[in-house]
Amino acid sequence: MKALVIVGHGSHLNGDSSLPIYEHAARIRREIGGFDEVVECFWKEEPSMRHVLDTVESDEVFIVPAFISQGYFTEQVIPRELGLDGSLTEKDGKTIHYAGPLGAFEGMPDVILERTADLMRGKEAGGTTALVLLGHGTDLNKNSSGVIYLNAERIRERNIYDLVEVGFLDQEPEISGVVENVEAENVIVIPVFIAEGWHTRETIPEDLGFDGEVTVRDGKAVFYGAPVGTHPSMARLIADRAREAEAASLA
Amino acid sequence: MRERTGNVAAEAREAFAAWISESDDGRVFGEVRIEKDGSGYSIRHIEDEGGENLDVSTDPTDAREISRFTESGEYRPLKSSPNLRRRWELRLSGEAALVSAMNYFYPAGAVHWHLDREGELETTSFRENASRQSGMYERAKHLSDEAAQNAAKACCEDDVCLKKTLWDIDDDTPLEAERGDGEIPCPEPCSVFVSFARRVRSFEKEEIYADSDGLTPSEKEDIAALVDGAASGGVSFAREAEFEEPVNERRMRYRRLTLAPKLRPEGESG
Ligand code: SF4
Repeated sequence: MKALVIVGHGSHLNGDSSLPIYEHAARIRREIGGFDEVVECFWKEEPSMRHVLDTVESDEVFIVPAFISQGYFTEQVIPRELGLDGSLTEKDGKTIHYAGPLGAFEGMPDVILERTADLMRGKEAGGTTALVLLGHGTDLNKNSSGVIYLNAERIRERNIYDLVEVGFLDQEPEISGVVENVEAENVIVIPVFIAEGWHTRETIPEDLGFDGEVTVRDGKAVFYGAPVGTHPSMARLIADRAREAEAASLA
Repeated sequence: MRERTGNVAAEAREAFAAWISESDDGRVFGEVRIEKDGSGYSIRHIEDEGGENLDVSTDPTDAREISRFTESGEYRPLKSSPNLRRRWELRLSGEAALVSAMNYFYPAGAVHWHLDREGELETTSFRENASRQSGMYERAKHLSDEAAQNAAKACCEDDVCLKKTLWDIDDDTPLEAERGDGEIPCPEPCSVFVSFARRVRSFEKEEIYADSDGLTPSEKEDIAALVDGAASGGVSFAREAEFEEPVNERRMRYRRLTLAPKLRPEGESG
């Protein structure tokens, strides 16, 4: 039997953080298939990573962290809490495959573009258009911005938009400057985040002066999308990530 | 950790289902009652024994939605908190559905219950758990034994968490808190507890700033918040795990243990 375990951050204060994880798990169970069990676990909610494997009956387990980039959580917290030795662990009669985070995975640009298509459906956007990928960014972890640049580059190669730029909350180039200075009549801002939260709902719209999905000012139309991580097609990405981990261990 | 043999999750499913089937009027687990219902199972809130006007569902994953928010719509970060909402019933077709629903109501509860009954549940002490912490939770490591005992009394007793607390402070220091009478074991401090312990550590650290009456800055802030709230017609509580806010139930329970005695010294009670 095969189990997929999706690891989310979770929150002590609101249900927004874990909701997309539950929804992706439900979609994989219902529509995508391929696993006998699909189980969620969290850092800050229950079941904890410490105990989730006890609830899994399958002997072959795939762990996919619902995180955008490689870093503190995927490299330290998750392996420590789940008791993993690396990408392959044999423990308590189970073979455990640990897949990497989602952001650098080759399917990620498609999810971003689906999110963008959903946002722009039925909206007029004549003239030049820039896509701006918004990352959290932090000075402590270079991978966090690297994965945003990587996706921008992959989307740029597809020649869909006149410009593809990146902007961050916590590091340069800072998002409000990017949106202001980008030379395009339409600017599409997509947060490359896993879940809705305080940043996507409050600080970002407030700091950037957004009026909702569409803000028109200084001859520019700015379109603000929901986070990539809440898009239904993330479920497919998560399942594919697990399958890739399986293929890698067979190779 | 000890290596496990056999399929613990599958054994737990069978044992849990058998335990339900053995009893005529069902079993209480946390705040739910589970009964055998023909070839399947029925789960209800313990307060909904009468069974009238319940929203009936046959999908075990509905347990997740039911257990997400309290009756008044507050998010539930701790599933063993005694605030599960009422007026629903799950009619489930078999063991797998039963355990799947139970894992949403009380995550890992059934497997811990089973391991505990078999004498195989490993517990992790507060010190062991804290020494593993990194990042923002690292601070919990430095908590004194006394503060850790009080934190557990404030955070883990049955009034605020229905799990039976099995862990100790360390191998030589048993927990002083009432461990609880429920069926669901708690083998290790949970993340809500660790987050609370981190806040309690900051209370401990500010003791050097206590005034001549022994009151610390955050204690005075809490008293002022209570006075302000009550004076404007109602004290509104902070969210369940929002320990940074003065009027949080667990934070107030901690104050009852550590601040109330300072305000009401021995012999002046009443
Ligand atoms: S650590 Fe305390 S609050 Fe957390 S689940 Fe255990 S008994 Fe409940």
